[in-house]
Amino acid sequence: MIEPFTVPFMARALTEILLLAVICGPVSVFVFARRLSFTSDALTHTVFPGVVIGFMAGQLFAGALVAAIVTAVALTLLTAGGRVSDDAATAVLLTAMFSIGVVLVSRRSSYTSDLTSFLFGRLLTVTPRQIAETAVLAVVVLVALAVGARAMVFRTFDPAGAAAAGYRVVWLDLWLNLIVALVVVAAVRAVGTILVVALLIVPAAAARMLTNQLVGMAVVGTVLIAGAGYGGLWASWTASIQYGVALTSASSVVLLLVAAYLLLVPVRLLRRRRRDPVVPERNSAHELVG
Amino acid sequence: MNWWDDALHRATAEVVLAGALAGLVGVQVVLRRLSFFTMALTHATFPGVVAASIIGVNILLGGVVAGGIVALGVAALTRRRGQDASAATGVLLSAGFALGATLVATQSGFSRDLSSFLVGSILTVGPQDLVTTAVALVVVALVLLAGARPLQLIAFDRAGAEAAGVPVARWDIVLLLTLEVVVVTMVPAVGTILAVSLIVAPAAAARLWTDRLWPMTALSVALAVGSGLAGLWVSSRWNVAAGASISLVATALLACSWLAARIRLLPARLAAA
Amino acid sequence: MAALRYAGVSVGYDRTPVLTHVDLELRAGQRLILVGPNGAGKSTLIKSVLGLVPVLAGEATVLGESPAAARGRAGYVPQIDTLDADFPVSVRQVVMMGRYRRIGWWRPARPADRRAVAEALELVGLADRAGHRFGTLSGGQRQRVLLARAIAAEPRLLLLDEPFNGVDAVSQEAIVRVLRELSAAGTALVLSTHDLTVARELADLVCLVNGRQWAVGTPGETLTAGKLRSAYGGGLVLVAP
Repeated sequence: MIEPFTVPFMARALTEILLLAVICGPVSVFVFARRLSFTSDALTHTVFPGVVIGFMAGQLFAGALVAAIVTAVALTLLTAGGRVSDDAATAVLLTAMFSIGVVLVSRRSSYTSDLTSFLFGRLLTVTPRQIAETAVLAVVVLVALAVGARAMVFRTFDPAGAAAAGYRVVWLDLWLNLIVALVVVAAVRAVGTILVVALLIVPAAAARMLTNQLVGMAVVGTVLIAGAGYGGLWASWTASIQYGVALTSASSVVLLLVAAYLLLVPVRLLRRRRRDPVVPERNSAHELVG
Repeated sequence: MNWWDDALHRATAEVVLAGALAGLVGVQVVLRRLSFFTMALTHATFPGVVAASIIGVNILLGGVVAGGIVALGVAALTRRRGQDASAATGVLLSAGFALGATLVATQSGFSRDLSSFLVGSILTVGPQDLVTTAVALVVVALVLLAGARPLQLIAFDRAGAEAAGVPVARWDIVLLLTLEVVVVTMVPAVGTILAVSLIVAPAAAARLWTDRLWPMTALSVALAVGSGLAGLWVSSRWNVAAGASISLVATALLACSWLAARIRLLPARLAAA
Repeated sequence: MAALRYAGVSVGYDRTPVLTHVDLELRAGQRLILVGPNGAGKSTLIKSVLGLVPVLAGEATVLGESPAAARGRAGYVPQIDTLDADFPVSVRQVVMMGRYRRIGWWRPARPADRRAVAEALELVGLADRAGHRFGTLSGGQRQRVLLARAIAAEPRLLLLDEPFNGVDAVSQEAIVRVLRELSAAGTALVLSTHDLTVARELADLVCLVNGRQWAVGTPGETLTAGKLRSAYGGGLVLVAP
């Protein structure tokens, strides 16, 4: 079970995933509580033009960073009011930014392979330099999260109460959107958009079924990512070495995370039957963005 | 030579049909805030389409089955307290995409298929796609026409519709399945990003001009078809990806509508001040 | 110094007034009750005091400053049904939110903060529930937790939006008792309700609103059949107390 990770590139891939586990566990708790799934999905798509322009200019990292920050600001402003509802605004910003990226790459010859590497990342070719960049961003994200956590919990639980207590809700929303954007930038090159979306959404949703505490959710989320990361890398290694099946490591990690989520659904049901009183449902199945 | 033999002619016809389809259902998507669900549907039908093409059945069938599973899955997961719809939708989106990607990766011609799934290949639509889209257009138009009154009631005043005895839950399922049919029809031809863009942007723009359902729907269809044609022209003129240029034209129309709505409201605001 | 002074004030959103002609003066330790039908503008008035809804005309002073400048200094108890009962947060954490502004961004909570939280929970009679998840409590208990949160912030002016809506008799009694204790200690209180019995029992001052201010004064002066009928329009059926 350890043997694949004695190979240097596998060890680097595992290191990268473990770094991401440390930041994505806590961040996903806020994504879950603030119902930012769609925003996260949008951010992973909207960094694409930044990546493309950055790649052309030889400054891939800077390009992604600029695009992420621009989108975070735009999403905050769009959802802060106006007649276009926030989910429609998010959808349009997502498709528009992604289309700009596609227009830019469609003029290049290696069009489809560029797009593929953006979707899946290059987890198995992560360089020590990339790991260092991820580590720096991880520290920035954790500090930003630690500073804002209390205020963001208050704002999430009771927006009017937080505003009355003197917090500027728009600034707190921007703060969180920027944190999510930084996670996307840290992760997207190594693991690709598919995995980033999953890392931001699935862990906390799964952890919520095990615990009623925010800190507990963050810890469980981190453990789940670390476990799925290890298992996914191991599975893709074994599949290709022993069975000759091409199993992309990023998608096996996602599939393991989703499997954990589905396995935990019955746990949640059992726990509730024992403990909670029956309260009428809040959610309609069809008001899909909170 | 037959008019239909030209790829650009076929693309033009497809864009008109798909635009009408997207514009029709888009109004419901925007009024009911189903954008993220639409996005999830586009990704989640992916494994169905791939699986169908691997085992050699009609890919539309695969898409319909996968989309149905997702629609029911989101509904089932969100019936539980503490699992809000947004997270459940996100989970299914990730799962569908990862599953589809895994299946694609086992086949050859991997990256080519994947990028056409994302951004479509409208310039390669065949007569078969055109027929499918036309049939879907007729079916969807009939369903939306038949359900116009209850859907309108539910969209504008859900509680009121329930009180008036409209079977809200049943119409919700009808709407989700209609949306699924639209997505399954459009994605193989135009790709996921363009499908979402054509469904949401023109309807959101139309919403800025009027609050009444019929004019909104008509305007939404017109804007969607218009963005399709204009985007196709831009694409052939400057040799950029067709799907992306159509989606950018649709976005530009929304931005203009938003500005126009701002300017229209300005006199009222000044008068109030 | 008055805790709250409104002179000829209009409040509303987007330059459209919701409530006009408000003239009030509230001193430390007084209890002001806003009475009016649904949609009368009671919540809007409360939010204007908190600095969350702009004052469109007139002169408003909250704790000696403009409402925007005083933002964060007045306490606020929102309606319970605006909160997500499913949110994974304990009763103690909710009450601690009242201390967040004092704690600041960096520092962990101090013993003084923990003591204030425990005392506030003790006051509303829910000390034994501190570790429970907020959403598992009954509506009335949740309302008392939110009241404890406001108390933990030690405000000199406290605003409560419909604190008796969907609240059981035990909790209503507990809330009334706590409110009396707070005003005896010098806190100025503003609360909205459409329960005239509570208003008569609790108010020093009553402000009768519906789109505009119709009357202000002692309960005896304002809650008269004639004034209520003019504020509520013809639709009100009065039941003799």
